[in-house]
Amino acid sequence: MTETAFTDPFWEALADGRFVVPHCEECDEYFFLPAPSCPHCYSRSVEWDDSSGRGSLYSFTRQHATAEGFPDELVVGLVTLEEGPRVLAEFDARYEELAIGDPVVIESRAYPHQYDRDRRADEPFFVARLRNGDSRSDSDKGRQ
Amino acid sequence: MGRSRTAQVTGIGLLPNGTHSSPERELALTVVRDALADARLSPAAIDGLYMPAPRPWAEQKFVSTTLVHGLGIEPDRTLEVSTGGSSSANAFQTAVHDVRHGVVDTAIVLAAERSSTVETTGPYFEYILSTFDAEFESPIGLSVPGAYAQSMQRYCHEHDIDRDDIADIVVKNRENAADDPDTLFSEGVGRREVLESRPIAEPIRLYDCPAPCDGAAALVVTAYDVGETGTESEDDGEPPITIAGVGSHHAASHFLQTHGEPITELPAVRRAARTASQEAGLEPDELDIYEPYAPFPHIEAIITEELGLVDRGEGVDACLGGQTRPDGAFPISPSGGCLGRGHPPMVTPLYNYVEAVRQLRGTASTQIAGAEHVMTTAEHGHVNGATATVFARGRGA
Repeated sequence: MTETAFTDPFWEALADGRFVVPHCEECDEYFFLPAPSCPHCYSRSVEWDDSSGRGSLYSFTRQHATAEGFPDELVVGLVTLEEGPRVLAEFDARYEELAIGDPVVIESRAYPHQYDRDRRADEPFFVARLRNGDSRSDSDKGRQ
Repeated sequence: MGRSRTAQVTGIGLLPNGTHSSPERELALTVVRDALADARLSPAAIDGLYMPAPRPWAEQKFVSTTLVHGLGIEPDRTLEVSTGGSSSANAFQTAVHDVRHGVVDTAIVLAAERSSTVETTGPYFEYILSTFDAEFESPIGLSVPGAYAQSMQRYCHEHDIDRDDIADIVVKNRENAADDPDTLFSEGVGRREVLESRPIAEPIRLYDCPAPCDGAAALVVTAYDVGETGTESEDDGEPPITIAGVGSHHAASHFLQTHGEPITELPAVRRAARTASQEAGLEPDELDIYEPYAPFPHIEAIITEELGLVDRGEGVDACLGGQTRPDGAFPISPSGGCLGRGHPPMVTPLYNYVEAVRQLRGTASTQIAGAEHVMTTAEHGHVNGATATVFARGRGA
């Protein structure tokens, strides 16, 4: 019987204010979504590594039709972490102030929505925001 | 595993896209009866029944067993498939494989769906959320348009495409479907109407989204006997409509999550189309007509590129230049596709097959003269998995 989930350390770290991502000890790739084996080389030597949560904005949308329990407008996007993988996150930012390539960071926060997260119901979740003051990290900034 | 027989479509049945008040199982029985009548077969001939599994909110579960009992048939094989938008496509391809390999002789493939019974903010959205990663993504609240919005944004960004130009694909598909009484809308839309419709998930607007509706369709798939020369259909001078190629592929992706590949390419369609067209003895860009499952307009543009019809980033130009119009060099979605027709996702792949058969019979609403080969595609998620099917007039490959 399996008592613990592979993803338990992610939520423990997040509760501690840290963002961790799976890292393959065999081929040195970071990846996301988390899985106990490496999707690049199929190795099972996967460890959780600390990430700064820093990255650049890959894509984003402002959603107007949302499920019950969510706000009428939801800003969601993909963050390309400095380690490589992309993470889907809600943004604590106005849609108008975002542009592809913006420097962003993923942080822990209390989960704000009325959605049943089942076994993770009491855990914090994560959210992305602009890294204000940083220079824009991507040369293709500007066009959308 | 080699195949021994050629599969053909001998019967089609469909109900118009719209709102149907009868239960799904009655819609299903209606299209099955119509497809059998078209094929001049008795229900007793059916030895295989293939269909999508019921949606989570459907009233009737265990639906294939319900239908088998209701029809009073004794098939050797029944199958309910659950792969999202490609469910009925995978059901159809399995039927084709089974007919080719002699597992069954007469297969019925059907789908019936009533979108009108479900509130889009309630059980529907609950299901949609559950199709993203349950632990790391579902709690974010992303919708399907919210996912496709990001590939539209990236597509414009990477290829310097004017988002407004993408609206012309919606305009074309609505126009193609406008005269067909089996589709949801009787009028087209203008570019301005598309761009001024309310935002759903920016940059996607209402008319960029396929309209959910009710519908049902069925097809009869049988073996084409090489030795048979005097079949009824040939007495009528009608050539058989054969399934000349099938292909399918699943990329290592889940909605927008790839392993580094851009979200603006659709490798599942590329691979499935290559397999299907090669089996038909053609290159993917050599078909006469394409009926893709393209739920948002930029996806039709990218599929145009994946088929090799145009270079990367030129899919929108192909529409602006008229090449994808019914009178263009490579007509795409002459039926209107799900954007033009309306979209019961469980039925949409079968509507594409029905359209392929009608084009090859010469009975389509927006008929392309002299069509010999039609390719259809289907997909699920953010085109993570796809199927491609080539229909041919006559014996085919």
